[in-house]
Amino acid sequence: MRGRVPEMLLGVGFLGIMTTLYLGLNWAPSVSINAFESPAAQRIFYWHVPSAWAAFIAFGVLFVGSALWFFKRSPVGWRLHVAGTEAGLACGLMTVWSGCVWGAAEWGTPWDWTDVRLNTFGLLTLLALFLVLGRQSQPDGVETRDTFSTFGLFGFVLVPLTYIATRIWQIRHPGPVIAAGDDGGSLQSDMSLVLLIGALSFTLFIIGHMLISMRITHLEQRLESAQKSLDGGN
Amino acid sequence: MAETLLRLEDLEVSRGMNKVLSSFHLEIKSGDVVVLHSENGAGKSTVIESSARLLPLEKGSVFHHDTLVLDAEGRRNLPKIPFGLTLQSNGLVGDETVENHLMTVCALSQMTTDVTPILESYGLAHRKHDRIGQLSGGQARKVAVISGLLPAMLSSKPRLILLDEPATGLDQSAVQTLVSTIGQLRSAGHGFLIASHHPSMLECATRLHDLKEEVEHKPSDDKTWTAIGHPEPQTLVAARAGNRYLRSTRAGLARNGLTALLVLGTLMAFVDPSNIENQTLLVGFVLSAPFAAGLAGDPVLYLLREQRAVDWWRANVQRLPSADLFAPLTGVIFTAIGTVVFLGRFDWKVTMIGALVLWLTMASVRFIEINTLRLARPNAVFLRLLLPILILPWALVAEYTATL
Repeated sequence: MRGRVPEMLLGVGFLGIMTTLYLGLNWAPSVSINAFESPAAQRIFYWHVPSAWAAFIAFGVLFVGSALWFFKRSPVGWRLHVAGTEAGLACGLMTVWSGCVWGAAEWGTPWDWTDVRLNTFGLLTLLALFLVLGRQSQPDGVETRDTFSTFGLFGFVLVPLTYIATRIWQIRHPGPVIAAGDDGGSLQSDMSLVLLIGALSFTLFIIGHMLISMRITHLEQRLESAQKSLDGGN
Repeated sequence: MAETLLRLEDLEVSRGMNKVLSSFHLEIKSGDVVVLHSENGAGKSTVIESSARLLPLEKGSVFHHDTLVLDAEGRRNLPKIPFGLTLQSNGLVGDETVENHLMTVCALSQMTTDVTPILESYGLAHRKHDRIGQLSGGQARKVAVISGLLPAMLSSKPRLILLDEPATGLDQSAVQTLVSTIGQLRSAGHGFLIASHHPSMLECATRLHDLKEEVEHKPSDDKTWTAIGHPEPQTLVAARAGNRYLRSTRAGLARNGLTALLVLGTLMAFVDPSNIENQTLLVGFVLSAPFAAGLAGDPVLYLLREQRAVDWWRANVQRLPSADLFAPLTGVIFTAIGTVVFLGRFDWKVTMIGALVLWLTMASVRFIEINTLRLARPNAVFLRLLLPILILPWALVAEYTATL
């Protein structure tokens, strides 16, 4: 049973995400037609915000994994790094894609190169893509792990910058809707409930995804070690 | 008592997933010739490259002349006394002439000399003014070996010389010359660490080391080498080499200049500035050419990728040759053209900002590229994916410039 925990988390998370999607599109109340150019498009936020939340969790894992490998040479740290990059890429792409759809409907343009949060988040996703593709292009070894861990550590600077970006430079991107402090948090309770279900579901899904990814990396390492033994190496 | 030229203390070095060296100790004193002769893959080159500060250490420290130059904490200090290095893959830039390369080696030792007699002894005098890329493999190897020996040939004080497979690719007479030179330099008090299986190299050793244990060896007596160098203080050797590479190859124009020109041309084909009143947009067009030229990267770094020349330079200097002088000049030229085309007048403030944009963009790209050089396949990594990080600062600079 214990060995099936990642799959269970993945399954429960997936069901929760589907539920969020259904509730967000069909049940949650509409926003005021005066507050938005395209009120219907706002419903994509029930996908956009939880996936951004999950992406931050994944980027956090990427940072911890990078630090563990770089400073402690921990093999578990490297597995966390790999899992964090893959999950960060998946969630980052979901966030960026849904944000572009909303931006096209609300702003009239899918991307704004002067919006700091948009760009820093896009860069985090590109960093994850760079790390995933880069790792696949190199043989496994300390050189590969050191280099990509360094980029993982540098890239994490973007996470707090992305989080506080709309508080410092609110050019186009809406301000925070979660943990907004005294001057925010104008969401109706039904909207908050759907967002909460979404955030929980994405969290479970991403944890399950990362656990499975870590298991696969471990198996890849065992396979490589077995192949080396057959080659007559170490 | 003989001076210690190299001390490796408790080295642990990993390459790939293998721990190549573990608890490795070695000391080379003035007059020693230590030849590493273990089997392939045992770590001979790893010892040489660790001694030259090219590989990060998992544990241990490297000392040159009793001064720390590398340790496992990440300290990487430039040796106070220059040393000679011949890498297994030459470390030469093909567009450099033989004489220029050897004079650069002299300059790194703060010395000068006439290199013709040395080239004559290796049968290369007639190739002195030729580009290294025009030489045969064996001739290029001779140049790499001479540049490794040169710091010792120049100096009357003991120097450390690191040679990785120096006899590979050399003809018999060149090997004989090499063995004789090593013997004479050893008699003059210089110290050698050599990785080789070549029987002639083994003959000139004072100690034979198989990375587990070493045995003493008595080489034949040689006459003593007389130093041929004359002191000549040199500054900014790497920067001057970078500019020389750019002048001889025009790589900066080919990579960065043409990129800027293409961007300007493309914009001019589609944009009529007389119909645009938005100043930010027009300044954005002006600054796009230097920005694109900067994104093309440092042309000198691309030249240094040939035959691991970048590693040879990394061993010898703290700051690699670069296009630092070329970048702002190119930035001035293309931004000035842009201001005339898109703003209708020459604007020196925008031109200066354009020069700065090109220089900073190129430096950022170089920083990212240098950090991936250690990878097994640095060219296969998707570096361009990281470059959009520069678009936001560029957009903010363009926005600010429009307000001037």
